[in-house]
Amino acid sequence: MRLTRRRFLGGAAAAAIGGAGVYELVDQLTSAPNRSVRPAGSMPREQHVIDLGLVDSEGVQVVVPPLHHELVTATLKITDPHGAQEGLDHALAQLDDTYSLDAAGLGVTVAWGLPYFDRFVPEQAKAHLPFDHRAGKPALLPARRFPSDPKDTILEQNDVAVLMRSDSRAHIDAARKALFDDLPYFTMTSIRRGFAGGGFAGKESLPKKMAMAAGIPGADLIPDTSELFLGFTSTQKAGLGPRLIANHETLGFVDLRGGYFHGGTHMHLSHIDEDLEAWYLNFDFDERVLTTFRPGLTNVKQGAQTVAQGPKDVATQAETANQFQKTGRFGHSASIQTSSRLQQDVIGPDGTRYPKGTAIPQRADFNTLDNPFAWSVAPDVDKMKRDPSAGVHFVVFNPSSDDFARNRLAMDGVLPDGTKLDVGPRSRAQGFNSVLTTTHRQNFLVPPRRHRSFPLAEL
Amino acid sequence: MVAGVVALVLAALVPGASAGAAAPACPAAWKTGWQQLAFTINAPVYCPSWMPNPLDGRIRGDWQDIYSIGDDHSYLISFLYHGEGGSGDVHVNFRGYPGRTTIPRCRTILPSGKKTLHGTTPCFSDAAGVHKVPGITATLYLVNQDADQWHLLLAWRHGGSLYTVSEHVIKPYTSIQVKKNLDRLLKSLVLVKPQG
Repeated sequence: MRLTRRRFLGGAAAAAIGGAGVYELVDQLTSAPNRSVRPAGSMPREQHVIDLGLVDSEGVQVVVPPLHHELVTATLKITDPHGAQEGLDHALAQLDDTYSLDAAGLGVTVAWGLPYFDRFVPEQAKAHLPFDHRAGKPALLPARRFPSDPKDTILEQNDVAVLMRSDSRAHIDAARKALFDDLPYFTMTSIRRGFAGGGFAGKESLPKKMAMAAGIPGADLIPDTSELFLGFTSTQKAGLGPRLIANHETLGFVDLRGGYFHGGTHMHLSHIDEDLEAWYLNFDFDERVLTTFRPGLTNVKQGAQTVAQGPKDVATQAETANQFQKTGRFGHSASIQTSSRLQQDVIGPDGTRYPKGTAIPQRADFNTLDNPFAWSVAPDVDKMKRDPSAGVHFVVFNPSSDDFARNRLAMDGVLPDGTKLDVGPRSRAQGFNSVLTTTHRQNFLVPPRRHRSFPLAEL
Repeated sequence: MVAGVVALVLAALVPGASAGAAAPACPAAWKTGWQQLAFTINAPVYCPSWMPNPLDGRIRGDWQDIYSIGDDHSYLISFLYHGEGGSGDVHVNFRGYPGRTTIPRCRTILPSGKKTLHGTTPCFSDAAGVHKVPGITATLYLVNQDADQWHLLLAWRHGGSLYTVSEHVIKPYTSIQVKKNLDRLLKSLVLVKPQG
C-alpha cells in the first residue's frame, strides 16, 4: 500500500488515547523479526529484564529490540495505595500469564517517581529507599538539567511510568487497557510511542520508512538501512549492560538498607528532539563518526553503520582528555564510556564476573515521531505540536540517579574524575549535542517484580 | 505571508513551460549577464533557464546577491530571496572553477572552549549519488562549506573545469524538494561559451 503524507497525518490526527495512530504504520512498513519463543518458566525477579535476540551487523553482535514501544506516565487518583496494591498486582500478573516475557509477547516495567514516594509513602520511603553511598545521596533523585539541556527542559513530576515493549501493537494496547482503562487508580498524564529495530533486513529500515512517510525534514538523508534516525547502530550487545548489572545491588555502590528493593533498578526517562537536517547537512560522514564515537577513529569504512564498541574499544579518561587536547573535540561514546563502562573488573554478589570495559547502563530507548508525546493531559505545558518530529524517547536503567547523571555529565565533557573538557554546551566541537534538544526529563525507581505494585504501601 | 509560502512550494512542484522536452535555452533577458561572465573569466559558464520561484537567473537583476570572481577566474554567482517573518529563504549558488577539476578545500574555524581550531576540509563532501542529464553527469554532495553550507550541491566536470549549483535547505523547501529543484536546475542549464 502506498503511503502518502496526507494518509500519515490523517493517522496522526486520529491518534487518540485508545489508538496507536501513526504507529500502526509500523506493522504496515515492516514485519516482526523471527524470534525463538522463551521457554516457560518462572518470571525473573527483575522487571526491567527482557530476553531479546541477536543478529550480526557488519561483524558486530547487535540486539534486536522489540518493534513497538509505549510508555505511559500517570499520577494517582487514589489516596490509599495500599488498598489498590492487590488490584494492580493482579492485573500485572494476568498480563504475565497471558504473554511470554519476550519481544514476541510483552515486557511491562512499572517505575515509580519521587512524587509517589514523597506523597503516598513518605515514612516508608525514608526507611527503605536505596541510598547511593558512592554519591552520598539517595538512589532516586529529582530530575535535573544538564549543561547542554535548554533552560526550558521540563522536569516532570509523574507518580508512575509504565514501559511496554512488544513486537505486537495489540499486546501493548491490551496492556494499556488493562492497567489504565480498566483499573480506577491512575490519571494518565502522557502517552509516548515509538519504534525500534526493523533495520537489519531489507533495503530500507523502519526508522527511515517512518520518517519518510511522516515528511520529517531530512528524512531522505537518513542512510537507507539505519537502525536509528541518526545513522548508527546503537544496540550492539557490547554497548548494553549485561542482564543484572544495572540492578541496585550488583556493583556495590547502592545501599539497599532493608533489602526491599533488591532486584530493582533506576530508570531515567527523557524525550530528545533530533534535528536530522542539521546532522546530515552539516556533518559529513567522517565528522559524524568522530563526534558519535571518538576523534582519531580512522578505520571506519565510509557508510558504515555499526561501529564496534567492545570493551577493548573503550576510551579511558586520559585518552579522552588527550584527544581533546590534540583535536579540541571529544566523541559522544568516548566521553560517556569514561563513566558508563567498568573501569576495573567487578565480581557481582551472585559471583558473576564483569570485566573491565563492560557497559553498565541497560538502554531501552526508541525512536519516535511524537512531538513531544503522542498524547498529553496538559498539551500547553508539554508544548505539544501537531506535526510529527524526529526524536528519541530515551529510557535507560542504571543503578542510581547519580550513576545516570555521571554518564550524562560525561556526555557534556565533565568526566568522572572532575576533568572538565572545556567545550561550550552545544558546541559543534561536541557535534552530537548540537543537534539534540531535550524537552522532558524524570527519574524513577523500578522495584523488583514482587514489589512493582504501589511499592512500600503495605508497610 | 502563509499564502506566500504556499505559493512558493507549489511553484516548485508544478512543472513550468521551461521544463518541457525541448532543449533549454538561456532566456534572452538573462543571457547578457552570463555571456559577460564567460567573457570575463575566459571560460564557459552555465546559464540556468529555470530558477525556483521567486528567483530568476538574471545577473544584476532583482535577486542576484553575490557576484564574485577570484584571481584564478573561479566564480560564485548567488541568487537570494530572503523571506520576511520567518517565511524562509530561497538561495541558489552557481560556481565554476576554470582549469581545475579537483574539489577545492575550505578553511574551517571551530571554537572549542578557549581555543579556536583552524583547519581545512573539502568544500563539498558526502557524495550521495549521481544525477545525469544530457551532457552533464553530476554528483550530489550533502555537506558543503562556506556560501554552500546547509545547501545540497551538484558538482560536475566539463572541459577540464569543475562546476556546481547548490540550493539552501531551508523553509519553504525541504531537502526532498531541494533535490527536485536541483534536478530541474540541472536539466535547465545551458552552456555559454566566452566567444558567444
